[in-house]
Amino acid sequence: MTMVAEKITIEPVTRIEGHAKVTIHMGDDGKVKHAYFHVNEFRGFEKFCEGRMVFEMPYITPRICGICPVSHHLAAAKAGDIVMGCPPPRPASLLRELMHMGQIVQSHGMHFFELAGPDLLLGFDADPAVRNVLGLASVNPELAVSAVGLRKWGQTIISILGGKRIHPNFAVPGGVNKALNAADRDAMLKDIDASIATIQTGIDVMRGWAEANMEDINKFAVFQTGYFGLISPDNGLELYDGDIRLIVNSGAQMERFSAQNYLDIIAEHTEDWSYLKFPYYKNLGWPKGVYRVGPLGRLNIADKVGTPLASVEFKRFKSLNNGRPVENTLYYHYARMIECLFAAERVRELLEDPDIMSTDILNTRMDIQGEGVGVIEAPRGTLLHHYKTDGTGKLEKVNLIVSTGHNNWAMSEAVDSVAKTYIQGPKVTEGMLNRVEAAIRAYDPCLSCSTHAVGQMPMVVDVYDPEGNITQTVSRGL
Amino acid sequence: MSKPKISSDWMCGCAGCHMSLLDMDERILQVAELADIRATPITDLKEPDEGGVDVGVLEGGINNTANEEVAHRMRKRCKILVSLGDCAVFGGVPAMRNFLPLEESLRRAYVEAESNDSECKIPSDPELATMTKVRAIHEVVPVDVFVPGCPPDPDVIFYVLSELAQGRKPELTGDLLHWH
Amino acid sequence: MVNVTIDGKSIQIAEGTTVLRAAEQAGVNIPVLCDHPHLVPFGGCRLCVVDVEGMRTLQPACSLPVSNNMVVHTNTEKVLAARKFVLTLIFSDRNHFCPYCQVSGGDCELQNAALDLGMTHWEYQPNWKPYPVDASHPYLVLDHNRCILCRRCVRACSELVGNSTLGVEERGASSMLVCDVGVPFGESSCISCGTCSQVCPTGAIIDRRSAYQGLDKKVTRTASICVGCSVGCGIEVLTRDNRLVRILGRWDAPVNEGIVCKQGRFLPLDEERARIATPLVKKDGKQVAASWDEALQVAAAGLTPLVGKNGSGVAAVTSDRLTVESLAAFKKLFKDGFHSDMVTTLGDGEGVAVAADVAAELGAFSGSLESLASADCVVVMGVDLTAEEQVVGFMVKRILQSKTALVVIDSEENGLAPFSHVMIKMAAGAEKATLEAVQKALKDGSAADEEVKHAAALISKATHPVFVYGKRLNSAALKTAVELAKSVNGSLVGSLTGANSLAAAQLGLGKTFKLNGHQAVFVALGDDTPSQQFVQSVEKAPFLVVQASHVSRLTAVADVVLPVEMWAETSGHYLNLEGRLQESVAALKPAGEVISSLEALKALAAKVGLSADADWQAEITAKTSPVQLTLA
Repeated sequence: MTMVAEKITIEPVTRIEGHAKVTIHMGDDGKVKHAYFHVNEFRGFEKFCEGRMVFEMPYITPRICGICPVSHHLAAAKAGDIVMGCPPPRPASLLRELMHMGQIVQSHGMHFFELAGPDLLLGFDADPAVRNVLGLASVNPELAVSAVGLRKWGQTIISILGGKRIHPNFAVPGGVNKALNAADRDAMLKDIDASIATIQTGIDVMRGWAEANMEDINKFAVFQTGYFGLISPDNGLELYDGDIRLIVNSGAQMERFSAQNYLDIIAEHTEDWSYLKFPYYKNLGWPKGVYRVGPLGRLNIADKVGTPLASVEFKRFKSLNNGRPVENTLYYHYARMIECLFAAERVRELLEDPDIMSTDILNTRMDIQGEGVGVIEAPRGTLLHHYKTDGTGKLEKVNLIVSTGHNNWAMSEAVDSVAKTYIQGPKVTEGMLNRVEAAIRAYDPCLSCSTHAVGQMPMVVDVYDPEGNITQTVSRGL
Repeated sequence: MSKPKISSDWMCGCAGCHMSLLDMDERILQVAELADIRATPITDLKEPDEGGVDVGVLEGGINNTANEEVAHRMRKRCKILVSLGDCAVFGGVPAMRNFLPLEESLRRAYVEAESNDSECKIPSDPELATMTKVRAIHEVVPVDVFVPGCPPDPDVIFYVLSELAQGRKPELTGDLLHWH
Repeated sequence: MVNVTIDGKSIQIAEGTTVLRAAEQAGVNIPVLCDHPHLVPFGGCRLCVVDVEGMRTLQPACSLPVSNNMVVHTNTEKVLAARKFVLTLIFSDRNHFCPYCQVSGGDCELQNAALDLGMTHWEYQPNWKPYPVDASHPYLVLDHNRCILCRRCVRACSELVGNSTLGVEERGASSMLVCDVGVPFGESSCISCGTCSQVCPTGAIIDRRSAYQGLDKKVTRTASICVGCSVGCGIEVLTRDNRLVRILGRWDAPVNEGIVCKQGRFLPLDEERARIATPLVKKDGKQVAASWDEALQVAAAGLTPLVGKNGSGVAAVTSDRLTVESLAAFKKLFKDGFHSDMVTTLGDGEGVAVAADVAAELGAFSGSLESLASADCVVVMGVDLTAEEQVVGFMVKRILQSKTALVVIDSEENGLAPFSHVMIKMAAGAEKATLEAVQKALKDGSAADEEVKHAAALISKATHPVFVYGKRLNSAALKTAVELAKSVNGSLVGSLTGANSLAAAQLGLGKTFKLNGHQAVFVALGDDTPSQQFVQSVEKAPFLVVQASHVSRLTAVADVVLPVEMWAETSGHYLNLEGRLQESVAALKPAGEVISSLEALKALAAKVGLSADADWQAEITAKTSPVQLTLA
């Protein structure tokens, strides 16, 4: 009986947002031939939103994703600002950014502690039955409680502004529907120091883990790509608004452009084995023009970070590869926590802005333009909403490029790379497979967003031989 | 007596209901005291225990063959099935896809979209799930407890889970019942 | 009176009352969808079914009249199951996606009904047929997916507004709400009064401007009145964070009972003019921001020397949309203080001045809008009620369905003409002659003109004719109209133009403005927009002081601009065309250094050493009004 496996399926991939599966195709030599990252669901928001009103989009599109609904809520409102010809007053933009920072904190915080944390703190090879946030709570209850508190703080900012934590009711084309009062501001400020302390603990955990696991960091999906994301006017880290900067792996800037012109710069490629498309830089073509977005991408394109504590950490990050882009997939977690720190500090800056409690929050002068692109840096990367409407504001065409899409090539590459690095047949262990999942997890993919679709790995992995017989069963902790 | 086992999964939804579950904040630890939390999308077990769980919670509607399998498996392995959130209960926003032939939705995304390059085509690999009409869970398998909301408020989820964990059937009325 | 027992409570109630209204009296709540207290019962949705002892099947409470000793149960298991079933069918009929609907979460009567019945889900899914969204209307979006065919909008459009734009075509499951004969909403005969959006129980008729601006529980509601014209409709002003969100007609307002026109509901939300936040004074030909004290000083320096200079002093002009309090202070300051011979209102206060003249001679002759409810013939003279005092127009149009005759007599195109049985169009100036001809025809049946003869026949047949007069009648014509009305025991209703034109007329502010030799002009503009003609007539004045809320061509040429409140920021009294004294209540707080027109007048008075303190109640009742004043 041959011991050579043909295909391993990991389904659902857990501790990621949405449904995906991985298939690992084994060669005759017992080595991985190729591993595929499949996003196997499709929902079709782009089509069924046609015929709806553009002002409904900030309320329809958050239903693409319950982890970062605020990103869709705001990108849709920003597209609406342009389509309806009603630029929001400054206080409205500040309040939108404030809500967004709340989301960055809750999403990054949750990802780091609740989703990726079990791998980092309990180990890739820990028992899958306890390799989760509850397991984390029993090992380090204090950290778990702080992590819950961090997410709670971010979600509280969102719910104070938008009435609820998930799928808030806040932004409309032209601005927002609620002003901030002093009591609300104070409620947001109350837990800011504790939250920053938790984030800094997370950064310490990450740095400590990296030092202890430098070998993993350096062999775990390290590869060259371009990097892509919003940038502030002075080339600082930017999460809410601005131009998009695109650099190549050397760090050289290739493009700096307005999202309104995204079609001139990027295009999307399809592969038969995934419902998630693959955006790339048109000038370099497919697949040379692939790039990464999200925390690692954003820190790679930025020359600086505008808040004091995050700025210190950013300098440390930049030294990892001597000022050149950092290429290690596992450093996404580090970049994520630096951004989380930036967002928390930015909350304070915004709350101290003299305009933050202004009631000049809505521009009601509409002048329908019929087309517009809304852009924002969702926690996982650049999110683009492109709408075309008729003269009444009714949608005719919707095109969405979501954060995780930009990272699709990178995740596929990471899955393949990690599978080839860590899976050595014939005996496949659960921990090996968990590392493959961790490659995806590092990108914190939001697969709900991606297919305007959602993904998933089974508890039991069967390894088949070329005749279709089960040669091995890898079970997950039962 | 051992703690009741709870398992959950998500299908055609947005994960928001599970996020709302996390939004119970510290109370999630109380739920963990009352019940044994088994396979969920935010833990690492991949499927509800073969030996069965007491409570199965499903988020999202059913829009493809993979989700059908998830729903049938959960129904088979749980004593009480909870339909969590508007997508699970009604079909939700993703059910708007039912207005159109599937082909049209696919063509828009993979052929017509402004950003597609000239080689784009509709993915068709057999590894991908086959799409179906979007259905509420009770259109596919019998449901015992309906918890609407988009997402259900954390207080609602806490109430439902703690009641079930203590062997009682939750009754959603008043502030605990909302659809938005 | 009959005896009825509802859920064990026995009450005495008038025969003919519906079970639903009887239940209300008994304090028993019965859920409804198609029913609306201001619309004729329709019995379409069946949500209000109740169990009546002795009746074989459940009965709709909204359309079943009570009978003596009737025993009704509203809360039995059978009733609740039937209601759930009714809702189940409604939800399966069209497409209700609550998560993103702007009324979900409290403002949807359909959703509320389901939640009240404890519905956690629905048994039957819709068949997923998509329905159109009609976005062609400038203010409203009609989403047929959410329409439950309750016909509240259809009934409101016809029963309350008399416009009958909305209707239902086809039958049963194919029924569709249609505009006219099936044209897009925005191309239909709709007059944008928005009543349909106010009665819609779901999110099917969306008011674009208020969508997602905050559910009912998030907004502040202020009961006030519209100051758009002399009808003085009761409105509710919905605000959030000191921002106007929506305006609704107040169902409990005696004047309008819920309806308002486009001018009252939508136009105030379309305000695009820039606000004036600080006082401005002209320095070296350019306006610069100044403190109140500085601005008042400059104004006083220009105006004080003109005190008592009749003819060459200060001419003062006010908007007739200011509060009575402001108008009286304005009069006190300029007429009594400055002794100006030109203290008047802007634009066309002429109509009301004519009425005042006639009243001086004949006494009060005009009456209340209530008279229209029982009118069997309406004669509209010299006013287009589809352009002005539109709500009066609705009240006329809605009674036409009950065989009321409509006669329109006007020298200009009149929007009511297409609805009229007789339209008499004459040359401008010939109004009196025409009315005399009608009167003659009424007496002896003779007339040279067929229309006149026809009109007289309609009037003479009527038991309660109502005559609506407007600004195109001069005092001679109006006098004839009054005599005509009296001769047939008819009532009169006047269209008096400005929200406070009647008060202005009572204060004697009715002159036609001319600059003549006046050395300065003071304009209390409030939030009015001055006409080009008016701006031209005052811009040559050597010194111009304007108190205004918004930037305009007039404020641009002023030497001093004093920033004052706009309508929604001011509280004060108004006299409507019925002589009803009503209060406008501030719903918004002004920003910056803006103060009320009244405060500004008083501050100016103090600066020039004069008084603006007036006993406005005494002032407006000092002379005979065209209509009996109700000040209580």
